[in-house]
Amino acid sequence: MSIARTPRLAAALAFTLVAAVGCGSAENTATGQTGAAESATRVFTADNGDITIPVSPQRVVATGYAVPALLEADAPLVGISSWKRGEPLMSAEDLKKYQELTKVAGESAAETNYEAIAQVEPDLIVIGVPKPVLADIDLKRLETIAPVVAIGPSLPSAWRELSRKQADAAGALSEFDSVKAQYEEKAKGLKDKYASVLPTLKLGHVGAYGEVAKGNFQREFNGSWGTNVAQDMGATYYGQVKVKGGGSKDVSEYPSIEELTAAFSEATAITYSVAADGKVPAPVQYVMDSPLWKELPAVKAGKTFPLRYTEAATYRSAMKALDAADEAFAPLLAK
Amino acid sequence: MTATRRLPGARVVALVAALAVLVGVAVVSVGIGAHAIAPAEVVRALLDHDGSSDHVVVRDIRVPRAFLAVGAGAALAVAGVLVQVLSRNPLAEPGVLGVTAGAGFAITVGSALGATASAAGELVLAVLGAVVAAVLVYSVGRRSPLRLVLTGVALSSVLAGVSLGLRLVLPDVFDEYRFWSVGSLAGREQSPTTLPLLAIALAVAGALLLSRQLNAVALGDTVAHTLGANVARVRITTLVLTTVLAGAATAVAGPILFVGLIVPHLARRMAGGSVPWLVVYATVLGPVLLLLADIGSRVLLPTGEVPVAIVTAFLGGPVLIWAVRRYAAAEL
Repeated sequence: MSIARTPRLAAALAFTLVAAVGCGSAENTATGQTGAAESATRVFTADNGDITIPVSPQRVVATGYAVPALLEADAPLVGISSWKRGEPLMSAEDLKKYQELTKVAGESAAETNYEAIAQVEPDLIVIGVPKPVLADIDLKRLETIAPVVAIGPSLPSAWRELSRKQADAAGALSEFDSVKAQYEEKAKGLKDKYASVLPTLKLGHVGAYGEVAKGNFQREFNGSWGTNVAQDMGATYYGQVKVKGGGSKDVSEYPSIEELTAAFSEATAITYSVAADGKVPAPVQYVMDSPLWKELPAVKAGKTFPLRYTEAATYRSAMKALDAADEAFAPLLAK
Repeated sequence: MTATRRLPGARVVALVAALAVLVGVAVVSVGIGAHAIAPAEVVRALLDHDGSSDHVVVRDIRVPRAFLAVGAGAALAVAGVLVQVLSRNPLAEPGVLGVTAGAGFAITVGSALGATASAAGELVLAVLGAVVAAVLVYSVGRRSPLRLVLTGVALSSVLAGVSLGLRLVLPDVFDEYRFWSVGSLAGREQSPTTLPLLAIALAVAGALLLSRQLNAVALGDTVAHTLGANVARVRITTLVLTTVLAGAATAVAGPILFVGLIVPHLARRMAGGSVPWLVVYATVLGPVLLLLADIGSRVLLPTGEVPVAIVTAFLGGPVLIWAVRRYAAAEL
């Protein structure tokens, strides 16, 4: 920089500073309460500790499971991670918003784009990944951009509390609570509708996620992805995992196909996960093609029910899952 | 180092003993699994099938799995012998010809194009990939065993790199590939394995027929010519057989390393420098090793199974070190 330019630059900086202070004062005067609310902070307890965040964040970045939750809650999002697995569960409106928003990370936590996050100038970052996956994210680097709250899934059925917490952090509880009330009303209606049949069944569930591979199958118990919404309708899945492995492994396991009979011989009905379009995923098809499956009492009795949208992790998407379960369980009511 | 010469009688005794071990391990393999079945019930399932779930487990899951282990084990072990003799490299294994990487690449591309929806489709893709990779390697490296191995290693690296790139860009492909990429004998009972197993049986028979001429080639091209062997023809036939063996085994069970490397070392001592006997012993010891590893894969975890390729990898390293120290990797 040349010496001749220095005084002019200093003058420009001084003018800018005076103007900025002047404007700030004017705004505080005109909208004193709003400004104070926007700049007010609170301490929020997250997976990564007690974090000081804005009371009313205006520019929120969401990743992982926080993406669908905050889309539904109408949070002031400015950037999100890619969340392809949730696309079939989104409403048309949420999907449009999802497609339009700036993508600041890929499908996995390791694909976080720190520069893209900085460019959208967030005042809050909500990370929705499981605790073990947090190691893939440079939290310190993110904290230099904005306050970071990590609120990730633990037990699959805990999406109810976690999505509420995510919406709370983003200052978007009013819309959240409204959708939650709709879900609870719908679930209660279906629980009443199936009160004479579902509670009498001893249910088992064949899942299609996680470590499932040829030669084994995923058995899901109460509180798992494939079962928790049906439970809200009054269904009960018997049994429990042999060894608790933490998180989703507390409520689901992957036994060998040899154990299929032992797993479901007591079941009076079996539900199984299918894709959003109703197609049977390969891991479930493998189980259904096994000669052991055909000999199960529930299968022989024709009491098998496909469940769609078992990935639901928000109230609005869970309402889709409720509708799909209602459709699947309808034959139970046929006289 | 020269290999120990053995008397024909001792070789036959060793072969009979190895066959007895194979039968014993196969019986144990049918009797052991995640679901406990009494030995008497296992026998009844084989001799008097009544359609009960225990009998279905034995007849429809464990027996096909044992056959698959025998076929894949023999294929990988004999392919290992052929590659080691052909390349005159005791550290060579079927994968150095690019066969495994070719099959893996084909599965990755197939997954990206949605062509792996069925087990049969997966199998055809793996065989195609293995064959194309082997043809490429041979066409570039046919002039010498060293060039052949170098070409195979180079092509394997390239294909593995491109496959990895595709899987990173397309996460769905990764999801499908990760189950295939760790070789396993579990859950193959619904796959169409008759044709690959038949191909393996024919290729093993072919390897036995070829082994006398390979004996001559193992002594070097000049000596082989002097002994009347058609070196070029033997080399091509060996490559074709290796491709069929390793390609079929990889197609039905996924990539399983170490069997093709370890078994020739274990068999070499018993064969006493004879390639025909080496092939015979490998045909028996390969299934023994894979059956043992498969039994381990079923009982190691309280729930579910460990893929057999992980067990062979755990067994493979120490056994190879032991074999190298014990027998000083006798030259062929």
